[in-house]
Amino acid sequence: MSQAEIVEALLDFIGRPGASEAEFEALALRLFAYQFAHNAPYRRFAQQRGRTPLTVRRWRDIPAVPIKAFKDLTLSCSPPDAAERVFMTSGTTGSGRGRSYHPTLAVYDASMLAGFAARIMRGRDTIRMGILFPDEAALPNSSLAHYLALAKAEFGTADSAVFVGPTGLDLDGLLAALAQAEASGEPYALLGATYAFVPVMDALEERGRRFALPPGSVLFDTGGFKGQSREIEPDAFYDGLSEAFGVPRTSCLNMYGMTELSTQFYDDGNATCPPVKSGPHWIRSRVVDPLTGIDVPEGETGVLVHHDLAHFNSVSAILTEDAGVIVPGGFRLLGRVEGSASRGCSVAVAEFLAAAQG
Amino acid sequence: MSTVEEAGYLPGLSPEAIGRRIVQHRAWGETVAVALPDLTGDQAETLCAHVRARARETLRRMETARIVAAIDRASACLLDRTHPLRRKAEALLPVVTGYDRETVRLGLTSYLKTFRRPQLLRFLAEDFSNPAVLDGFQPAVKGGLVRARGPDLLLHVWAGNVPALPLWSLVSGLLVKAGTVGKLASAEPLTAGWFAQAIAEADPDLGECLAITWWKGGEGGPEATFLAQADCVMAYGGNETLAALRAKVPVTARFLPHGHRIGFAMIAREALDSRRAGPLARLAAHDIVRYEQQGCYAPQMLFVERGGATAPDEFARHLAHELAALASRHPRRRLDPGEAAALAAWRNAHEMRALDGSATLLGDPADPWSVVLLDDAVGLSPSGLNRSVAVVAVDDLAEVPARVAPHRAYLQTAGIAAAPARLMALADDLAGAGVTRISAIGRMTAPEAGWHHDGRFSLLDLVTMTEIEAGAEAAAEGFAPYAD
Repeated sequence: MSQAEIVEALLDFIGRPGASEAEFEALALRLFAYQFAHNAPYRRFAQQRGRTPLTVRRWRDIPAVPIKAFKDLTLSCSPPDAAERVFMTSGTTGSGRGRSYHPTLAVYDASMLAGFAARIMRGRDTIRMGILFPDEAALPNSSLAHYLALAKAEFGTADSAVFVGPTGLDLDGLLAALAQAEASGEPYALLGATYAFVPVMDALEERGRRFALPPGSVLFDTGGFKGQSREIEPDAFYDGLSEAFGVPRTSCLNMYGMTELSTQFYDDGNATCPPVKSGPHWIRSRVVDPLTGIDVPEGETGVLVHHDLAHFNSVSAILTEDAGVIVPGGFRLLGRVEGSASRGCSVAVAEFLAAAQG
Repeated sequence: MSTVEEAGYLPGLSPEAIGRRIVQHRAWGETVAVALPDLTGDQAETLCAHVRARARETLRRMETARIVAAIDRASACLLDRTHPLRRKAEALLPVVTGYDRETVRLGLTSYLKTFRRPQLLRFLAEDFSNPAVLDGFQPAVKGGLVRARGPDLLLHVWAGNVPALPLWSLVSGLLVKAGTVGKLASAEPLTAGWFAQAIAEADPDLGECLAITWWKGGEGGPEATFLAQADCVMAYGGNETLAALRAKVPVTARFLPHGHRIGFAMIAREALDSRRAGPLARLAAHDIVRYEQQGCYAPQMLFVERGGATAPDEFARHLAHELAALASRHPRRRLDPGEAAALAAWRNAHEMRALDGSATLLGDPADPWSVVLLDDAVGLSPSGLNRSVAVVAVDDLAEVPARVAPHRAYLQTAGIAAAPARLMALADDLAGAGVTRISAIGRMTAPEAGWHHDGRFSLLDLVTMTEIEAGAEAAAEGFAPYAD
């Protein structure tokens, strides 16, 4: 199958919400064969596991690459130099940055727009947006910057704005926009990195200012704290958001995405934490024992594996470092699986590396 | 079936007034509920005052020989397989720590043998040329007299899940007549309390001079009281925990930290003939299996020299074979998700290296052991623990000290199999690099009595010397009734 055929098949699949399990499986196997043929490091990895297109019969048996591999290896089916865009991880942990090569953004964009329309817009065509994240010009290799730019361009009203510039957060501009939204009665969507909400909440508390955004407004956060702000427990975080902006926790939506994927997961509000997360029909998740890669029984905690057909050029199956549990309707995300410190007095890798990095 | 075991040992407090926090431990299909003591600040104050007072009144006056006898008897109880405490230890510790029964049984026996009379005397002789300085003033080499005095209140903050490990510092404190308060580790909260109980049975007076309790570290509660009361704090844990603790210890108190460490092994080509390689691999496997590498002395990397009759890759296969064989006799602990993830991350990293041929992973991810063979000149790095180990092929073992030297702060035990002359040469270089203990392969997890833990003096570090200068002694003569 050529790249053009893959892209066409994927765009078609994304556009057919009724696609069955069998259709997902068939496309997943075709994509595995494609990636096996054109992505040499992934082929060696799969061969080492004894998995080839001849032996793999189910999408669940397609070997998942640990996301660390995106740092160490060049995982691309097309020449990396010719990629239209390269998304890189923020590089907050460990050495090097994970890279995803996109020869075209057509599939990524179609995947993002379909997911965003269904889970955030929910039948609405446009909404006025405020964005708490640098734009694409500032962060050309950030998948989140691209994601938010796409959201604003496709679903934002003309007076939508980005409030993070070269000098940091434009708090006055943001407060003015929020006040205006409050007065107008028109719903407002405030989107950004999780950590970006923390200084805003702090500033509001300092000024004794609270907003009551109009009904239908949405708060959207993603990505966690990443050491960029103090960490807040989920319940306290959403209570704080809800209070500061006058938006119920059911309208505080969290997106779970990764540079190593082309599709995002969403919840239906954070009334209770952790909420159930799910994605569209072209992505499936498993929860596995990280050592053996075997699915754990439903309801038991393990490590999340995502199989994202839209991530066609690289590797569709990734083993994350996130703990999760499968529940009806999706999965609950339980945070990062920390390589635990040893329980004895042996030094464990995490502490050793932390010391080595000073 | 589940039982509730009360942890700790708290003389001077009325049992019904003591708050308890119940923690469930599960392994091998059984559950044990442990009731940890949860004291108030006032109770902590009372406990410290009790231990301090009794230590001053009675412990100070006790001959060291009497303390040695009491510890010897307590150890004998726990070595006696029919004694109720020993039976309890064999029944409960596998469930609490997750180690298999045989590992616990053999480990307890080999460890407790270090605390019998001859070994205790060795402890004393190791640190004091004349242990009588603990009982009274003794002539000093430079003239005059000296005596050694332990702290009035020594606080131990234990960590980790290696059974009975706290006994090392507990015994050291008692030998220097320190009033003792120990804080249990949540992961192994039982043995220290049982041992204290056995000591109290052997010598009730001595039993009044020590207490074993628990609190949740770093969360307020009685922690501040204990830290403020102690004259000396001996603490175990990761560097972050130790740093947080050190910040809370008054500057007038002595702080003796024991951080997490790494052990490694070195196998010389002369040890790698067809007759020796197999047995050596078996001994190394024992070092790896015993307590699942949770102890700081366990090997995480094996440097194996090229040029012997058995090549490093062949040795790695021997080792894998021995680990597989041991797994049926000593099943691996069930790993919690964090531990499984740490092990998986280590395996995955090597799997990536294997793609370009610089590593070979032996065994299957589902095996309860992992051996990776590294052909590259790599530095020291920790394994994924829980029976995972890297075998590094090297041209000459003499290269190894330089490779481990950057990690001086974490180095501890090196197990060595080499001929005497090379052992001495390597030991010299390793000592320079910061290694503090060199052992035989197969003995890495069983340090000798009198061991200088992390290169420190178990007893000397605890004591303060008081000296009577020769001049004072001479001057006193002038005031004697028989003075001319």
